[in-house]
Amino acid sequence: MDRRRRRARALSRIRSAIGLTLALTASGALASDTPTPLRAMAWLAPGADLAAALGRQPTECLLKPDDPALARSIEIGRAAFRDPLLLGGQAARAGLSCESCHAGGRDNPHFRFPGLSAGSGTADVTTSLFSRVRGNGVLDPKPIPNLAGPRAALKTPVTALPAFIRGLVVEEFDGAEPPAAVLKGLSDYVSALDPAACPSARDEPVSLAGHLADVRRALAAAATAIDPQTAERMVGAARAALFRIDERYQALPAETRALRAAARRLAALQAAARTGAPGLDQGIEIWLTDSQSLERRLAAREAQSLYVPAHLTRLRRDRP
Amino acid sequence: MGSIRVLLLAGVIAGFAGGAALAAGSGGGGGMSLPSESGPSYDPAEEYAKALAALDARDFKAAARSAQRVTDAVPQNLDGWKLLGAAQTGAENWKGARRAYERAIKIAPDDLNARGGLGMALARLKDPKARDQLDWLKARSASCGAGCNAELLRSLTAELERALAEPTAPSARLDQPLILADAGDAAYLDAVGLINEGRYEVALARLDAARAAFGPHPDVLTYQGFAHRKLGRFEVAEGFYRQALAAAPDHRGALEYYGELKVERGDLVGARRMLARLERACTYGCAEAETLRSWIDAGGGPGR
Repeated sequence: MDRRRRRARALSRIRSAIGLTLALTASGALASDTPTPLRAMAWLAPGADLAAALGRQPTECLLKPDDPALARSIEIGRAAFRDPLLLGGQAARAGLSCESCHAGGRDNPHFRFPGLSAGSGTADVTTSLFSRVRGNGVLDPKPIPNLAGPRAALKTPVTALPAFIRGLVVEEFDGAEPPAAVLKGLSDYVSALDPAACPSARDEPVSLAGHLADVRRALAAAATAIDPQTAERMVGAARAALFRIDERYQALPAETRALRAAARRLAALQAAARTGAPGLDQGIEIWLTDSQSLERRLAAREAQSLYVPAHLTRLRRDRP
Repeated sequence: MGSIRVLLLAGVIAGFAGGAALAAGSGGGGGMSLPSESGPSYDPAEEYAKALAALDARDFKAAARSAQRVTDAVPQNLDGWKLLGAAQTGAENWKGARRAYERAIKIAPDDLNARGGLGMALARLKDPKARDQLDWLKARSASCGAGCNAELLRSLTAELERALAEPTAPSARLDQPLILADAGDAAYLDAVGLINEGRYEVALARLDAARAAFGPHPDVLTYQGFAHRKLGRFEVAEGFYRQALAAAPDHRGALEYYGELKVERGDLVGARRMLARLERACTYGCAEAETLRSWIDAGGGPGR
């Protein structure tokens, strides 16, 4: 590859990662026969094994508490952890969520963000690229910690988690102040990540079923939220989860059309939640009932989707 | 050919590696639709990159075609006109070069390279108005202070004097390198960080370098608009947002920041219109819509 092409690709990754380009979404039309990259490719190292990096994910080491209130709070945190809109600034615009660095609540050895990482699995959290207040003018990336690893390896004690997470969201990533229940949920979720809860398998396939479960769990969290702000954020998290399915079905236009129609209905629910209008529970229930046929339809075409590792390897390495 | 170096903004063009910048404009054709609906459309940033590549390959006609598409798509973009001027100069289409540089100067009267390019084209046409451009360059040299590119002024002036004395003479600048290493990428990244640090004037200089390398890319134009807005230059900012949206009508960043500008001007109706466009573009939700919504709800940005 000549120097110019390498530079063009590097730039393409930078722009994709920084997240202002949005050319594909601007057109609203995804090619039916030419796979385009998944969003997460913007923060993969050049030459990364796409089937490994995007076709598999670490299993989640999540304790299941007996206390129903704590369980609900953990579910709120779990959904927020996967929602890019929890973060602000360039990170949110790039589509980064907490889970981008902490896949399955662990770490991400494939993560390499242009201008932010020195090597795979590292990130500089004191950069002006993402933060208006924490930039230190030095590229000093650190290894991404495994949140489900031994407690002693994490610098922040559980009791300090709420303040730590708030600083991370609001200062490190320029996010808006999260609702109190979301902040508590994040703290409860991270606290519930525990090595003792790890399944025997270190990783598992990324699957339609897993992403559909993310959508349903976020909506269940919305239905149980005690304040409209949290409910609104949870419906937003469900929309974001639906996007992760959409990009895997980009070669299947009928399915993506159906997904987008479902997403627009969720957008209407989110708008209603924003105003505190009554009937959110019912709306969610109706959406979930209606979406069952979509789920069956998606499952029937999963073999043609980008959930199949062999198809992932056909992806172009750069966003056009 | 030597004048290409002059016209290609020596010291400003930060690299010829714009490469595949954005999604290709969708080619069209076929089907039951009007020609205007099915004809090809062009992505100005990609066409800019194509024009640069064609210049590099000395295929000046192809360069002019691509540059013309840039100016058609984004007529207020300075770089597009300068690039077209350079391509026409290479093709020895002096009238075309003159027209392109005249448009560039209309947008940016103080642009040194556009002045030099116009002077060169006029000299080749044996038009006495070439001396006006030479006089302008000399006057600028005489008052060249801090922030003024004295070296560029000197070389443009010398080049134009030479062309006036001997219109068909080859350029002394023929062998200068066209590619300056990696400056475009670095400039863009620098600018993002500088904007986050609130150093808008410095960021603008870096964005100029990025824009020269990558053409009317909506990301760069949007950030230029953003920086000007933060410096209180609302009309200039609006011009850049409009250019970005001309290049990419659903560009999320441009819609968001243009909406914020409208909030700052008290035009909440206009801001809501931008939000509605954003919501249509963001099927699965996006930070740009959320941020603009919070501006509209609060009647201003954070801290109001």
